[in-house]
Amino acid sequence: MQHDNMKIQKRREYYLFSPWLRIFHWVMVDSIIVLFVTGILIGKPLEIMALEPTQTSMLMNWVRNIHFLAAYAFCASFILRIYGFITNKGDRLFPRFWEGRFYADTIDVALHYMLLKRFHRSYLRNPLARMSYAGLYVLVAIEVLTGFAMYYMTNPDGIGASLFGWVNVWLGGEMMTHLVHHYTAWAIVLFTSGHLYMVTRAEFMEGESEVSSMFSGSKLLEHVPVDASDVDVTEKV
Amino acid sequence: MEKRESLWEAYLRRGLSRRSFIKGCVALTSLMGLSTDMVSKVVEAAEKKPLPVVIWLHGHECTGCDEAFIRSASPLASDLVLSSIALEYDHLLSAACGEPFERHLEETIKKYWGNYILAVEGAVSTTDNGVYCMSGGKPFVDTFQRVAKGAMAIIAYGTCAVSGGIQGAKPNPTGSSGVGHYTGTKPIVNVPGCPPIPEVMTGVVMHVALFGKLPPLDSENRPKQFFGNRIHDTCYRRPFFDAGMFADRYDDAGAKAGWCLYRLGCRGPETYASCGNLRWYQGMSYPIQSGAACIGCANSNFWDSGASFSERLPKYGPLGDVDTIGAGLAIASTAGVALHGAMSVIQKQKRAAEEAEAEGGAHK
Ligand code: HEM
Ligand code: HEM
Ligand code: SF4
Ligand code: SF4
Repeated sequence: MQHDNMKIQKRREYYLFSPWLRIFHWVMVDSIIVLFVTGILIGKPLEIMALEPTQTSMLMNWVRNIHFLAAYAFCASFILRIYGFITNKGDRLFPRFWEGRFYADTIDVALHYMLLKRFHRSYLRNPLARMSYAGLYVLVAIEVLTGFAMYYMTNPDGIGASLFGWVNVWLGGEMMTHLVHHYTAWAIVLFTSGHLYMVTRAEFMEGESEVSSMFSGSKLLEHVPVDASDVDVTEKV
Repeated sequence: MEKRESLWEAYLRRGLSRRSFIKGCVALTSLMGLSTDMVSKVVEAAEKKPLPVVIWLHGHECTGCDEAFIRSASPLASDLVLSSIALEYDHLLSAACGEPFERHLEETIKKYWGNYILAVEGAVSTTDNGVYCMSGGKPFVDTFQRVAKGAMAIIAYGTCAVSGGIQGAKPNPTGSSGVGHYTGTKPIVNVPGCPPIPEVMTGVVMHVALFGKLPPLDSENRPKQFFGNRIHDTCYRRPFFDAGMFADRYDDAGAKAGWCLYRLGCRGPETYASCGNLRWYQGMSYPIQSGAACIGCANSNFWDSGASFSERLPKYGPLGDVDTIGAGLAIASTAGVALHGAMSVIQKQKRAAEEAEAEGGAHK
C-alpha cells in the first residue's frame, strides 16, 4: 500500500570515510575553532586590570598554551588521517587533475552553483569540493609550518628550530611568519563559511546525506555517482 | 710578510703589566660570550697570535655603526684599535686621507693577501653601475669585491651590510642590498643591528682575531653568542606579557608602570639580539627599558615589515587591518551563501514544479 504523499526511492550506500578520517575531521573542527579564537587573542590580547603580574591568572600565558595544545592535538590527529589515507580508498578523494573528466565535471558543477543550470550530475565528491579540500590542506600546512617556526625558535639550537627554522628565513624574517600565519588564519575562516554552507546545502537540497557521512562514513545516493569508481563500492539497496 | 706582534707583545712594548694583560684577557673572554673556562685559551691565543690586520670599508650607509663601535666600553674601542687589532684602513677613523690613503689600501691588500679581516659597514648599491655609492672615485661595489677576494673572513657590521638597511627599504632607488651576495665563497659573519651593540662589534672582531676563525654561527650567519635568543624570550617585561598587562599608549598608566609594549607594536617576539642581555652603553639601558617598543632593527628588511613600528598588523587605509577586513569578508561571505541558498531554493522549487507539470502531462 502506498500513501499519496509517500515516495519510495531506491538508494545505494557508498562507504567512503574510514573512522580515522572522521575522527580527524572532528578533532580538526574543534582544534581549528580553538586555534582561531586563541590566535586572535594572541594578536590582539585582552587587557586585564591588575597592578602586578603576580596577582593575575597569567591570562596571556594560558591563551598561548591552549593555542599550542590545540596545535599538538591537531597534528597528532593528522597521523590518524594518514593511516586512513593509506588503508581506505574513500579517504583519497583528491582532485583528479590528470583525468580529462575532471574539467568537464568542474564546469558542470560550476554552472549549477552559478544557478545557470538546474542540477549537476551526482558525485561522491564533486570536483569543486575536491579542490576546496585540497586548498584547505594547503592552508593548514602553512599554519603548521609557520606556527612551529615561531614556536620552536625559543631555542634556535634545538631540533624543532632546525626542522622549522628555515621557514622564517625563507619568508624573509620572522615578522613575515607572524603575518602569514595571521592572514592564513582568516583564509581558513573564509573556507569554513563556504564549507558549512556547501555541506548543509547538499544535505537539504540534494538529499545526499552529506553531513551524516562525516558521522557514519557512508553516503546514500539515489543516482549512481559519476565518480563511483573512486571507491570500493559497497552497494546496499 | 713581516712578523706582526701579538697582543701580549703589544702590551710589553707599551710597558703594561702582566696583570693588566690577564685582566684584559678575562674581559675579552666574557665579552666574546665565552665561558670562563676559556680564559686560558684566550690568554694562550693572545700571547701567540699576531694581531690581525683589519680593513674596514664603508658603503652605502650613515656610519652610525662606526659611531657605535667607538663607544665600546670593554674593551675600550681605542684600546682595541690601538693595541688589539691592526686597523689599516678605515674612512672614519683614519687621520690620513686622499691618494696616499687609497694607495695604502692597495698596499695592505697586496701585503696581507689572504690574511686580513674585512669589516664592512653599509650596503652595496648596484643601480646604474653603482654610481650612487662611490668612494675614492670608484663604485663601492667594485672596491668591496676586490678587497673581499683577498680577505680571510668578512664581518658585515650593521643591518645595511647584512640586508641593505635603510637605503634598501622600498622603493630602494639605488638598488641596495646586503654584501652577502658579493662575497663569493668567503666566510662571512653577519652582525645586524642599526647599529649593533658596541660590545658585540668589538667582541666579534676579537673572536676572529684571537682564534683565527669565525665564532659559531646560526642559520643566518649571525654569531650565536650574541644573537642566540629573541628579545621577547628574555625580556624583563615578559611577566607583564604573560599576565596580559599591556601599555596602549606611550602616555598611559601602563606605559608609566613599565608594562609590556606588545600592543604598541613591540618587535621583541621576532628579533634576535643581545639588547636585553648586554644592554647598551655599559649596561645602562636599552630601548624597551627606556619605554620604547623594540623596532626589530636587527631584522633583515625591518623597514618594510609591513606594519608601522607602533602596530603589529599592517593597516590598509580606511579598510583597517586584516582582522577588520577578515571579519568583513566573513560577514559578506555569510550573507553571500545565505543569498545563494535562498536562490537555490527558488530554483529547486521551479524545477520541481516543472517536473511535476511534465509528469502530470505524461499521465494524461
Ligand atoms: C597547527 C599548528 C599551529 C601552531 C604550531 C601555531 C603556533 C602559533 C604561534 C607560535 C603563534 C605565535 C604566538 C606568539 O607570538 O606569542 C601563533 C599565533 C597565531 N595563531 Fe597559530 N598555530 C597553529 C595553527 C593555527 C591555526 C590553524 C590558526 C587559525 C585558524 C592559528 C591562528 C593564529 C593567529 C591568528 C595567531 C596570531 C598571529 C600574530 O598576530 O602574531 N594558528 N600560532
Ligand atoms: C560543524 C561543522 C562541519 C560539518 C558539519 C562538516 C562536514 C563535512 C562533511 C560532510 C564532509 C565530507 C564532504 C564530502 O566529501 O562530501 C567534510 C569534509 C571536510 N571538512 Fe568539514 N565539516 C565541518 C566543519 C569543518 C571545518 C571547521 C573544517 C576546517 C576548517 C572542515 C574541513 C573539512 C575537510 C578538510 C574535509 C575533507 C576531508 C578529507 O577528505 O580529507 N570541516 N566536512
Ligand atoms: S645599520 Fe643603521 S646605524 Fe649602521 S650604517 Fe646602517 S643605518 Fe647606520
Ligand atoms: S616589551 Fe616587547 S619584548 Fe618585552 S615582553 Fe613585551 S612584547 Fe615581549
